[in-house]
Amino acid sequence: MTGNIYLILTLLLVFFCQPVEITAGSVTDQVGRTLVVPENPSRVIALAPSITEIIYDLGQEKRLVGVTQYSTYPAAAESLPRVGSYVRLDIEKIVALKPDICLAIKDGNPKHTVDKIVGLGIPVYVINPQNLQQIMDTISRLGSLLNAEKAAAELVSNMEKRIEQVRMRVNAGRHKPRVFFQIDAEPLFSAGTNTFIHELIQLAGGVNTAAGEVAYPRYSWEDIIVLQPEIVLISSMAGGLAPEYLIQSWKKWRLLEAVKNDRIFVVDAELFDRPTPRLVDGLEIIAAILHPERFIKSNNQAEE
Amino acid sequence: MPIGRKIVLITLLLGMVLILISIIAISAGSAGGHFWETLAILKGKGVSDHATATIIWQIRLPRVLLAAAVGGTLALGGLVFQALLRNPLAEPYILGISGGSAIGAIMAMLLGLSYFPGVALFSFTGSLLVLAFVTALAGTTLGSSMLSRDSLLLGGVMMNAFCAAVIMFLISMTRTFQVQHILYWLMGDLSRLQNNQLPILLVVLPCFVVIFILGRPMNLLLLGRETAAAMGINVKNTVLLLLVITSLMVSIIVSLSGLVGFVGLVIPHIFRLLLGPDHRLLVPACILGGGSYLIICDLLARILPASGEMPVGIITALVGAPLFILLLVRRTA
Repeated sequence: MTGNIYLILTLLLVFFCQPVEITAGSVTDQVGRTLVVPENPSRVIALAPSITEIIYDLGQEKRLVGVTQYSTYPAAAESLPRVGSYVRLDIEKIVALKPDICLAIKDGNPKHTVDKIVGLGIPVYVINPQNLQQIMDTISRLGSLLNAEKAAAELVSNMEKRIEQVRMRVNAGRHKPRVFFQIDAEPLFSAGTNTFIHELIQLAGGVNTAAGEVAYPRYSWEDIIVLQPEIVLISSMAGGLAPEYLIQSWKKWRLLEAVKNDRIFVVDAELFDRPTPRLVDGLEIIAAILHPERFIKSNNQAEE
Repeated sequence: MPIGRKIVLITLLLGMVLILISIIAISAGSAGGHFWETLAILKGKGVSDHATATIIWQIRLPRVLLAAAVGGTLALGGLVFQALLRNPLAEPYILGISGGSAIGAIMAMLLGLSYFPGVALFSFTGSLLVLAFVTALAGTTLGSSMLSRDSLLLGGVMMNAFCAAVIMFLISMTRTFQVQHILYWLMGDLSRLQNNQLPILLVVLPCFVVIFILGRPMNLLLLGRETAAAMGINVKNTVLLLLVITSLMVSIIVSLSGLVGFVGLVIPHIFRLLLGPDHRLLVPACILGGGSYLIICDLLARILPASGEMPVGIITALVGAPLFILLLVRRTA
């Protein structure tokens, strides 16, 4: 059934695309802007580390001519020319690299900077992923933009498969532990409902104690004692402090369930704050922390 | 030398300096030096490389124009307030303009508005509210309608202190990534203006002219209000006109550039040391000199960091404070 639909869709696509065999096409990006993009972009600038990552995941790094300051993953990206940091882009350097397209992200790249680049005649495609599903959509979009549809489809189906596996394993778990995800220290900050972290905690079979409208709510230790988290996850970037220090700052509150049971973990910040396929790595890590019994058992069955 | 010729001479000289500095600033940037290309454009020849032409015409030239307008306006604003309040520590923000515009700008940023027109309008409105409050206060505290210099000064200082508390409160409630935008605004940043907003800067030109015409009355005001009145100056109207015009032009500039500091304090003092106290000379000197100074600072802000650029407000004091102390020492020695 679905195979037939795809076939028809493909035929339709081929049929409709036939007359517009020119070098550029008009597309709509993820924030609804319409722009003309080159058919086969060969000089791409990624205006955020997450975009760099996705381009490498798609195997299209040969097209990359510039990246931003904190593009550290994969390591190979470190040797590419820098165009400032994603909040403070160096427009002169961008122009000097003569890109045929820039890829930007809505949460991060300031709108006035994107407007400026567009004003200089460089097309900017803006992505705006807000959850895992939209990240997969972003990957598909970037795949078709960079003529890497096949790699994108593989990447997305791999992500879907891994997410589904986690979902299946934790669904059988009856108890959903209360999780406090600390993204910043001194003052304490956590992540509210409209964040990747919230989605990952839910998928991993936990309850986010910071759920609520505020995206990044602030807490005092008094609030924490009221929240009574059973598990504490600390982002490795929190406050720029050492992991041991961060864990110690929790340990003095002995009345907390998480402290009593020694369930305080420092997790790699990069796996939770970048909208990339690595969020699925983050999901698997949280799921294993929340429901160790399910994951250890499965590992014994030597699944992967 | 008669004063008229002196004005022309100084204006021409500093005008030439401004043009020279502008050419240097257009020639250099993070994408490298383009001195010969800039010269070629000046000679009327085009540049073959499209990217280079874009960098020179659409990125660096607008930046230099903005820096010139901001620097000139702030230096002139400082000059006027130092004369009006007869206080060497006066600067364009002293009456609370900075506090009011910052609160406006930060609120607009927290509301998620764009820099233009959102943040600019909020910031402009904020500074106008403060201006209205401070002038009203100064008028009432004196009992008469004449603007008292001390109550103006104190009112402004209190206003700024109050606004600073509100600003700190707003920042303490904000998440990291937004704090960065707010801090950059507070430090002064010339990188945000879009090219199609440049014509707004022309609004400051008529203000420059009016203040230049009021140069002689400003000289007389320095002798004290009674003396000025005895010399035939309508003190109240002159003070009010200067106050409002200066605040307006500073508010417009601040709403576009953020709080670029120190230019308005140090440039008038430098020229007073070099040229003496005559405001008919000091007004054009501060406009052209302030513009040149900020162009240099902005150039440094653009080329010094290895990656990206820093807010220009850091450079203005970093360079300006030692420069001024040097002049002061050499003058008194």
